[in-house]
Amino acid sequence: MSLLWQVLLNGVLLGGLYALMALGLALVWGVLNIVNLAHGAFIMLGAYVCYYAFTGLSIDPFAALPLAMLVLFAFGYLLQRYLLNLVIRAPMFNTLLITFGIDVILTYLAQIAFSADFRTINPSYAGDNFALWGATVPLVRLLAFAIALALTLAMWLFLSRTRLGRAIRATAQNLIAARLYGVEPRNTYALTFGLGAALAGVAGGLYGVVSQVNPYIGTSLTAKSFAIAVIGGLDSPLGVIVGGLFLGIVESLTSLYLGPTYADVASFGILVLVLIVRPTGILGRTA
Amino acid sequence: MRRSILLGVVGIALIVLATAPWFASASLIQFGISTLLLATLAQSWNIIGGYAGYASFGNSVFYGLGSYGTAIAMVQWHLPFGVGLALGAALAVIFAVMIGVPVLRLRGHYFAICTLALAEVMIAIVSNLDVAGGNTGLVLPLLRGDALFYELSLGLLVVTTLVVLWIAHSRFGFGLMAIRENEQAAAVMGVDTTLYKVLAFALSGVFAAIAGGIHAYWITFLDPVSAFDIGLNVKMIIMSVFGGPGSILGPVVGAFLLSGVSELLSTEISTLAALFFGVVIVVAVVFMPRGLADVGRRFRQLGWRYFAENVRTHRV
Repeated sequence: MSLLWQVLLNGVLLGGLYALMALGLALVWGVLNIVNLAHGAFIMLGAYVCYYAFTGLSIDPFAALPLAMLVLFAFGYLLQRYLLNLVIRAPMFNTLLITFGIDVILTYLAQIAFSADFRTINPSYAGDNFALWGATVPLVRLLAFAIALALTLAMWLFLSRTRLGRAIRATAQNLIAARLYGVEPRNTYALTFGLGAALAGVAGGLYGVVSQVNPYIGTSLTAKSFAIAVIGGLDSPLGVIVGGLFLGIVESLTSLYLGPTYADVASFGILVLVLIVRPTGILGRTA
Repeated sequence: MRRSILLGVVGIALIVLATAPWFASASLIQFGISTLLLATLAQSWNIIGGYAGYASFGNSVFYGLGSYGTAIAMVQWHLPFGVGLALGAALAVIFAVMIGVPVLRLRGHYFAICTLALAEVMIAIVSNLDVAGGNTGLVLPLLRGDALFYELSLGLLVVTTLVVLWIAHSRFGFGLMAIRENEQAAAVMGVDTTLYKVLAFALSGVFAAIAGGIHAYWITFLDPVSAFDIGLNVKMIIMSVFGGPGSILGPVVGAFLLSGVSELLSTEISTLAALFFGVVIVVAVVFMPRGLADVGRRFRQLGWRYFAENVRTHRV
């Protein structure tokens, strides 16, 4: 019983981080109709920003998160402004393919720059934990979970309450009408993509603290983010939280009962199942 | 007139390629084998991605199934190579039907990522199979004779291209193109869309699987990560798209050109070659999204404006 409780707790903590990973992908997908296959590579880059800030400049990884956010925001903004805006009205396959190309480029540049070795961000308190009703809670995982939830909620408030957030949602709903109301799409698109990348950057920093990082982690993280976005739908960041928690719990349970190699099989199996049964997502809008 | 010139060029190219083992160096033949197999993959992707318009990011699964089918038949059951290839092809067909029926109902992004996820899942599944040697993989019997593998690969590419030629002019192919342009309209016009899509997926899979089988026996070693290499999808898609998806010779020309350049680059630094594919994808999507085949048709009218025109129609 206590083992199950521990596993469920692990799943929830992991799920919060997953939700943050998927949030940027869902935002970009919902607003720009681009499924960014380089999203996982952005997460990877964010992790390396925090890694080098920690090992090179000895900045605490949690304090380095804004830095990762800023770097990735600038990168995403420029990428959308000067490259992806050129193909935004092309057929879906073209935008999918170009982000696929960006993913390949980033992965191999990372391999050249950072080497293929696994890296872990290990601050002095990495091993600290405390007990909660008989289960062990690792401190960094709890922190990562809290930050992920806080950012997801902040994103929700930003999109629903602020002027810029409303402009972004208006662009997603109807580009022509948004333009008539004075929304400038080139800049709005770039800001949205930059935000998506920034969220990936934070998620990457947190991922680097709780797990291992190498240049090739991107593809499976992209697929997981996609799975969560599909399960949760693209309408609201709160759906993404549900999707992330669901996937985190399922992966933890699979690791316990079938073995850790099957965790990925389970998450992708769920993705395939969800798509087959309900192609618009469990909580998503109906087509 | 243009048609006969084209036929002549293809004929001469075929004669040169077929006789290459008698005059080319050993390393050139080895490069030839991998290029011909990649061209076969690009051409087989063309059937499902180019003609039917279903952008599969997981055709590496077929390649891996072909490799493992051949290897398991030869190593575990001591069957001849030909039977192994047949087993690999059969596995690909079974997989295409079992997975294709549900997955081909998905469109656009959903289909693409679903196939990508399947490619990831297969690595994990095969790593856990005892008959497939688990994580360590399998070692096949050694057969010296690059010339034989070269001619086999060339033969496979020719057969695949002939099948694509048939598709381009058959009722089946017109059905696929109708599905690509407008699936609902195709269904209304009496195309059995599910049957056509699954057939295209299976056909695409058979050739990829045979290519995988030939590669496995040639390399004599395989493990899950290299047999189900996700990077193969990058290569086959970009070769097909660069050459011209939905055209008969485009994917083959794209494969030869890109393989050649990437081989030249990889003699300098091996990661440069992989980087090169990424850059080609980005540049091609922006400037020539319909591939070399379309550039060849329209460049003469428009000149350099052709590339500017492509950007103008898709930018915001």
